[in-house]
Amino acid sequence: MGIEEKLPSGVLLTTVEGVAGYMRKASFWPATFGLACCAIEMMTSGGPRYDLSRFGMEVFRASPRQADLMIVAGRVSQKMAPVLRQIYDQMAEPKYVLAMGVCASSGGMFNNYAIVQGVDHVVPVDMYLPGCPPRPEMLIDAILKLHKQVQTSKLGSNRRDQIEALETEALNALPTSEMKGLLR
Amino acid sequence: MTVTSKEGQEVAKADLVTLTIDGVEVSVPKGTLVIRAAEQIGVQIPRFCDHPLLAPVGACRQCLVEVALPGPDGEPRTMMGPPGRVKPQASCTLTASEGMVVNTQISSPIADKAQQGVMEALLINHPLDCPVCDKGGECPLQNQAMSNGRGETRFVETKRTFPKPINISAQVLLDRERCVLCARCTRFSEQIAGDPFIALIERGALQQVGIYEKEPFESYFSGNTIQICPVGALTSAAYRFRARPFDLVSTPSVAEHDACGSAIRVDHRRGKVVRRLSGEDPAVNEEWITDKDRFGFTYARQDDRLTHPMVRDEETGELRTASWPEAFVVAARGLQAAGATGVLTGGRLTLEDAYAYSKFARVALGTNDVDFRARAHSAEEEAFLASTVAGTGLGVTFEDLEKVGTVVLAGLEPEDEAGTLFLRLRKAARKGLKVVSIAPFTSRGLAKMHGTLIRTAPGDEAAALEALAHDGEVALDAGGILLIGERLAAVPGALSAAAALAGTTGARLAWVPRRAGDRGAVDAGLLPSLLPGGRPVDDAAARVDLGTVWGTTVGHEPGRDAAGIVAAAIAGEIGGLVVGGVDPDDTADPAATRAAIGAASFVVSLELRATDVTQAADVVLPVAAAAEKAGTFVTWEGRQRPFGKVLVESHALPDLRVLAGIADELGTPLGFKTVEAARAELSELGGWDGDRVAAPTVSTGSTTRESSTTDGDGLRLATWKQMIDDASMLDGDDYLRATGRAAVALVSAGTLAGLGVEAGANVTVTGPGGSATLPVGVADLADGVVWLPAGSDGINVNRDLGATAGATVSVEGGAA
Amino acid sequence: MPTLKEQFWDPVAGFGVTFRTMFKKVVTEQYPFEKKPTAPRFHGRHQLNRWPDGLEKCIGCELCAWACPADAIYVEGASNTEDERYSPGERYGRVYQINYLRCILCGLCIEACPTRALTMTNEYELADDNRADLIYEKQDLLAPLLPGMEQPPHAMLLGDDEGDYYRGSFRPAKNESEA
Repeated sequence: MGIEEKLPSGVLLTTVEGVAGYMRKASFWPATFGLACCAIEMMTSGGPRYDLSRFGMEVFRASPRQADLMIVAGRVSQKMAPVLRQIYDQMAEPKYVLAMGVCASSGGMFNNYAIVQGVDHVVPVDMYLPGCPPRPEMLIDAILKLHKQVQTSKLGSNRRDQIEALETEALNALPTSEMKGLLR
Repeated sequence: MTVTSKEGQEVAKADLVTLTIDGVEVSVPKGTLVIRAAEQIGVQIPRFCDHPLLAPVGACRQCLVEVALPGPDGEPRTMMGPPGRVKPQASCTLTASEGMVVNTQISSPIADKAQQGVMEALLINHPLDCPVCDKGGECPLQNQAMSNGRGETRFVETKRTFPKPINISAQVLLDRERCVLCARCTRFSEQIAGDPFIALIERGALQQVGIYEKEPFESYFSGNTIQICPVGALTSAAYRFRARPFDLVSTPSVAEHDACGSAIRVDHRRGKVVRRLSGEDPAVNEEWITDKDRFGFTYARQDDRLTHPMVRDEETGELRTASWPEAFVVAARGLQAAGATGVLTGGRLTLEDAYAYSKFARVALGTNDVDFRARAHSAEEEAFLASTVAGTGLGVTFEDLEKVGTVVLAGLEPEDEAGTLFLRLRKAARKGLKVVSIAPFTSRGLAKMHGTLIRTAPGDEAAALEALAHDGEVALDAGGILLIGERLAAVPGALSAAAALAGTTGARLAWVPRRAGDRGAVDAGLLPSLLPGGRPVDDAAARVDLGTVWGTTVGHEPGRDAAGIVAAAIAGEIGGLVVGGVDPDDTADPAATRAAIGAASFVVSLELRATDVTQAADVVLPVAAAAEKAGTFVTWEGRQRPFGKVLVESHALPDLRVLAGIADELGTPLGFKTVEAARAELSELGGWDGDRVAAPTVSTGSTTRESSTTDGDGLRLATWKQMIDDASMLDGDDYLRATGRAAVALVSAGTLAGLGVEAGANVTVTGPGGSATLPVGVADLADGVVWLPAGSDGINVNRDLGATAGATVSVEGGAA
Repeated sequence: MPTLKEQFWDPVAGFGVTFRTMFKKVVTEQYPFEKKPTAPRFHGRHQLNRWPDGLEKCIGCELCAWACPADAIYVEGASNTEDERYSPGERYGRVYQINYLRCILCGLCIEACPTRALTMTNEYELADDNRADLIYEKQDLLAPLLPGMEQPPHAMLLGDDEGDYYRGSFRPAKNESEA
């Protein structure tokens, strides 16, 4: 039909989005944001036994400019929330957030005034990872699930449409307390 | 649970006995039980059957203690059983005596061992199904098995089992395996409620709580047996498996179903009320509440509950959802355009909300056309309320009922209309109070109070009250109390006669309305001729007094009452109506009320749920139910019963906030937007110590018919609402509804013979506005009178018959 | 002035570790490709167990919810009827939810469970991209139906009352006796 049939063998065709997604996921640099016990497991994931470098993620960047992924590892106190947001704002697009552990995801067992009840109150979260703390396998699993997301992410006007669609959906969504059943 | 200090102070020193409990010397009034004396020194003896408000019975034997009494030489001698063995005594039936030495489980190994043995015996046949039991987590048996029981069971044989659970009424479930035979439920039914259809039957291991098969356990107070059951033997069908106590948030509150203001405890879970229990208030309801107070709470979460403000769309003519600011603007503009406006409210308002309506009418609408009486009423009643009730504060109290010799009831059936009052009257009657009731027949409630009936046909109550002044048998004097129901308003001259009777005999007078908000509405001035605090509208000084707080002047012309507002709306004299929680079927003339709502050019409805009024209204504003707001109910005594918000997460607005929103848009702010601010303004306003309106003096003879015999071939209609009936406040409580008494038309035996049907057959009662068919029964009514429940089994007397109490209806037998 | 040792030996000595390690077995786990089993009592995702006839063991007693330190469990009980029976006895769990974004996998709920209805599996791959999907409901948590099990509601097939179930005095299952 199209250009595919006229190509010599050994040439693969893909979309620009596909290539860009492949590149992005293959060198995915996390920013260190270890806040509590989860950070220990996060460090272990970078160590030789679990070796995140197998997925091109060996460098945990201390500078947000050079990072693509913020792993929020641990409970976020109300005082830490603005710092967290600032780091997030300093990261360059495209950027992703992974809420590691129950405390970052929803406040966990710290259902009190001192802890932000879920880091998604402060920054948009792309992946929630339960566990207290999650073992390195769970973190790697979450990162790989995030890789899948990155691979299929959109570019240019498609991205803008996607953002708009997500925004509309988020605005129309019920409050979390009413979203599913009776749990919050 | 303790002997009140008040009682303790009253006893002279000589009436005290001194005993030693666990080595601590304690002096208690004579007649005190040992178990209570132990409480005074902080020793909790385990118990199941013992309850401070029930007579001691010593059924469970859990409270065994070692007792020594002083012998002839003054030395204490331990009470012995078989030779050489100490015999422990049940401390819940043993009265303290001088020199007694009691050793409880704390200091006596013998008592401790005895208690553990009893506990083991009680647990032999107990199924230990605590995880599925509704009592689990708040169970005295669980707690005391932990504190006073053996850690291990020695019982390995098969337990006795019964089929379970069985219904002993629609609302109460019985699990006989769990029962420890403490007889609390049977004693409550017999001693407190007077409905002894529940008893201990059989013997030995098979002994169990049972009901008389032909007569179900039908009681308006059966829920109390569930609460006092020390194990999970009696559970509630409505609360069955609904939640666990450790998951509930408990908030003290006040019941909103009648004018008694019973203390209740509301348990809610994740924004939903799951049950209500009786609170403890010795001055009001002691520890008992009616089933209506206990189980009637799901009305606020029915499907037709209003959640958003609605305004009528100008183009389509349909109601559409609107935002609060828009609804306020539309309501304010509509009311301004409508011209003269009347305010009708029901009797369910809190004091603060009633005050807001009162101020809204006077300040924002500039009218005195405001009335809370969504029922039969009269100008005489208004004068009576203004002279005798409004702003008088605490008058006759529950405790007073126990101190007097005679109580006369007129136009009041306490069991149906004020359940807590009934329990207190019955308690007093058991101690010798004489209850006299001016009523058409001996109701079940009156029989349970062992009261005397002054048989009175409806409409003749005024004459009966007048006659009472000279009645040597009743001999009402300053030691008597006259309790007047709201139904007397429909009898011309009756309230005048009651006020006159109180004046001549010196008896104290109390007005007992049926609804929780009525007394508060009177105090808040929701009457056309009355301003807040009992200030008369036509008293210049009262208006000035009010004006200093409100900062405005108030109209000096008394307004129209509810019937007047309805008539004026139909006639077109009133364009706007503000209706807050009125069900047209409750009013004396439902058709006229509906017509008025249809005729008015602009109707603002403040409602909880969709009703006929909201469907016809131009602006519908949803308001908070009692559990969703703070407030104050004023009991029939005049006692203020403030309560807090139970469901703190609720965003529903109380009436006063809604009215404040409309008033702001009208340019005449109310000056308060919260319950606290309204409360503060009310207390700043204070009472009225100026001149009061004189008591009404409507003569009886002028309007009453000659005799109680039939007018033509019709019968005189007597009616009132039963406690558990078709009320919308009971919607959703199906188990509770099922315990209600069936609708039966009652006539005298002579009248029944004239009808030519047997008791239990269906008859058709026809009034001016229609007819209803229901079974007929016999009661000791006067000939020529028929009694109908006002709103049971789908029959609404006002709506279906078009008749009110005292009207003439015809009864025909032989219907299908 | 550095000594001879510092100038020549120390830089080489640093590589000693590297050289030695070249001859050691690689410790890296190839996680997503080769999954190593967890410790047998690893606290993973929960499971609601069934009796051998398929009835649920959960009686909706809410003790797990009570034991939960993170308030991650929500249970609502309901009455079994003769026509609609989900568990032996009077009561079953009508609503059962675990919020894995609160759950700390501590296992206190397992200890609290009086009927061994709630246990933990070794499954740990739970990450998801939204909060709502991480609230697991009863159908997500119930153990799969094994052969011989029947989807509730159905009558008690293994005994006459719940006592038979709890004591383990099962009557032989039908298909077993036939086979």
